[in-house]
Amino acid sequence: MSADQEKLITELVEKGLAGDMDPINAIEDRVLRSKAKAALAKAKRAAKTATTAAPTEEKPATETIAETPPSDNPNKKFGKMIEDTFQGSLDAELNDTHIQLKPDNWFEIAKWLKSEPSLYFDSLQCHTGMDVGENMLEARYNLHSMTHDHKIEIRIAVSRDKANIPSIEQIWRIGDWFERETYDMFGIFFDGHRDHRRMLLPEDWEGYPLRKDYEVQETYHGIAIPKVKVGWE
Amino acid sequence: MGVIHGEEMVLNIGPQHPSTHGVLRLKVKTDGEIISEITPVIGYLHRCFEKHCENMTYDQVIPYTDRCDYLAAMANNFGYVVAVEELMELKVPEKVEYIRVIMAELQRIASHLLALGVYGLDIGAFTPFLFMLRDRERILDMFEMTCGARLLYNYMWVGGVSHDLPKGFVETAFQFLDYFEPQIEEYNNLLTYNKIFIERTADIGVLPADVAISYGVSGPNLRASGVKWDLRKNDTYSIYDKFEFDVCIGDGGQGTLGDCWDRYYVRMLEVKESVKILRQALAQMPKDGDVHQALPKKIRPPKGSIYSRTETPRGDLGFYIESDGSPIPTRVKMRSPAFTSLSVLGELAGGWMMSDVISILGSLDIVLGEIDR
Repeated sequence: MSADQEKLITELVEKGLAGDMDPINAIEDRVLRSKAKAALAKAKRAAKTATTAAPTEEKPATETIAETPPSDNPNKKFGKMIEDTFQGSLDAELNDTHIQLKPDNWFEIAKWLKSEPSLYFDSLQCHTGMDVGENMLEARYNLHSMTHDHKIEIRIAVSRDKANIPSIEQIWRIGDWFERETYDMFGIFFDGHRDHRRMLLPEDWEGYPLRKDYEVQETYHGIAIPKVKVGWE
Repeated sequence: MGVIHGEEMVLNIGPQHPSTHGVLRLKVKTDGEIISEITPVIGYLHRCFEKHCENMTYDQVIPYTDRCDYLAAMANNFGYVVAVEELMELKVPEKVEYIRVIMAELQRIASHLLALGVYGLDIGAFTPFLFMLRDRERILDMFEMTCGARLLYNYMWVGGVSHDLPKGFVETAFQFLDYFEPQIEEYNNLLTYNKIFIERTADIGVLPADVAISYGVSGPNLRASGVKWDLRKNDTYSIYDKFEFDVCIGDGGQGTLGDCWDRYYVRMLEVKESVKILRQALAQMPKDGDVHQALPKKIRPPKGSIYSRTETPRGDLGFYIESDGSPIPTRVKMRSPAFTSLSVLGELAGGWMMSDVISILGSLDIVLGEIDR
C-alpha cells in the first residue's frame, strides 16, 4: 500500500467515525474501498473497547457512584428493579434484549410496572406468543411508557403441558384481545381472563396453528381443507 | 306514566354489510334504540399471514404485507422493511429514504381521503365521497406511474425500492399538491362544517385519553383524544426528523374532546401536514443515486428479535420479528393499529343509539384485512 493510499484511508476513517460514510462508499476502487472499511471497523472496535474499559478503571476512584452500576439499557435497569421489589421472580440472567420472568406473580409485577411512578408503563405495545421448541412456549410483552418514553420486553416461558400465565387483561385493556389471539394461535391459557375465547379462528377449531408442530385438520364441518403444497410447481 | 320495560334484543350487524368496512360482524344487544352491549366478532378474513411468513424468505413476505392493509399498502411495506433493516442493521441510501417518505405520505393522503369520504358516505353524505375519490385517483395514478400497481405495490424492498422514480414524477407531484391544497377547503365546506354532519358526529362516542392508551389505540384516533403522540416525531424513524410538520391533535372544536368529529377532523388536518412534508421532501430529494445500491444479495438477519414501530395512516404499526439467522423468519407478528382501534368499540359504543354505532365505527377507520391478517 502506497503512502498516498494510507493517508487517504486515515482521512476516510476519521470521516467515517464522525458518521459520514459517503466518501468511503464513493471510492471507485473496490480493493481500496474494502481496505478503508476494514480500517474503519478496526477503529470503531478500538473506540468501543476504550469506552467500555474506561468505567472499570474509574470504578475504584469514584466509589460512591460505583455502588449503583449505571446501566443505560432499560431491560437491565428495570429488570434489576423488578428483582429488588419482587425477589425470585427472574427466570434468567439479566440481558440487553429482554427480561425473563417466571409466570407466578406476573399479575402483581405488571400492576406494579404500570403504577410505579418512575416506571409508569402505560401502554402495552405488543403481545405475542412464540414456540421456542423443547416443549416450551413463550409469551412476550413489549411495554412502553408514553410519559417517560422508555420501553422493555418481557418474556415468560411455560411448558406446553402446563401453559398457564396470569392474565393482565384488567391492567392494560388491550391485553383482552391480545391474549385471546395468543391463546387462539399458541394454546397458552391466561388465568383470570374474563372472556377467554378464540379470537380469529372458530370456537371449534382443533389445534393451535402457530405452534411449529401444528398439523391442519382434514375436514371442518364436512368441508375438506386443502393441503398446503410443499415446494413450487 | 310508569317505566316501560322493553325486552333486550340481540341484533347482528354484518358480516356482510356496507358500513362495516369489510367482513366484520357486530353482535349488538339493544334495548329499544339504545345499545347496551356490543361485541365485535372478527376473523372472517383471516388468511394466516403470520403462519405464511414462517414458510418464506424475508423478501417474499413483503407482498403479503400489502394485502393486510390494502388501503395503505405502502405504509405497510414501509413498516416491514424498516423492521427487517433494523434487525440487519442495514443502512439504505439517502435517496431511497426520500422516496419512501414521499410514497408513505402520498399513501397517507390517499388513505385519509378514503377514510374521510367513506365516513361521510356512512352518515349519508354522498357527494364528498366522490370528490375525495376523484382526488385519490390522482395519487393512485402517481403510484402506477412509479411501480405499475395501483393498490398493492410490493414497492419497498429490504435495502431499497423496486423502481426509481420515473421521469417527471417530481413535477407531477408538485402539480398535484398545487391542485390538491385548495381542495381541502372545499371538503371542509362540503362536509366538515356541514350542519347535518356535525349533528351526527359532534359529542358522539367520546373517547377519553386514558381509555385510549389502555386499549392501545394509536394514530389519529389517539391524537383526537388530545394526546400529542406521533411516532414520526416521538420515536422518529427513516428521515422524518429532517422535516418540519406539526402533530395535529383534537380540540373538541364542535363538541367534546375525543368525539367522532374530532377523529374525523384530525385526519383532515393530517392531510395538510402530509402536504407540507411532501413539499419539503420533493424539494430536498437528491437527484442522483441508485435505488438498488444497498439491496442485500441474501437477506439473513443475525439471530435475535426486534420490535419496530412505524406510523401508518391508521396508527402504530408494529412488527415483531424473530430470526434464527436463517433466510426464513422464525416468527413475524404484526401488531396492527386497526386491531387495537376496534377493540375499544365495545367500550365506546355502549349506551349510544343504534344510528350512532355507525358513526362511531366509521370514525375509527378500520380495515378488516389488517385486523384479521
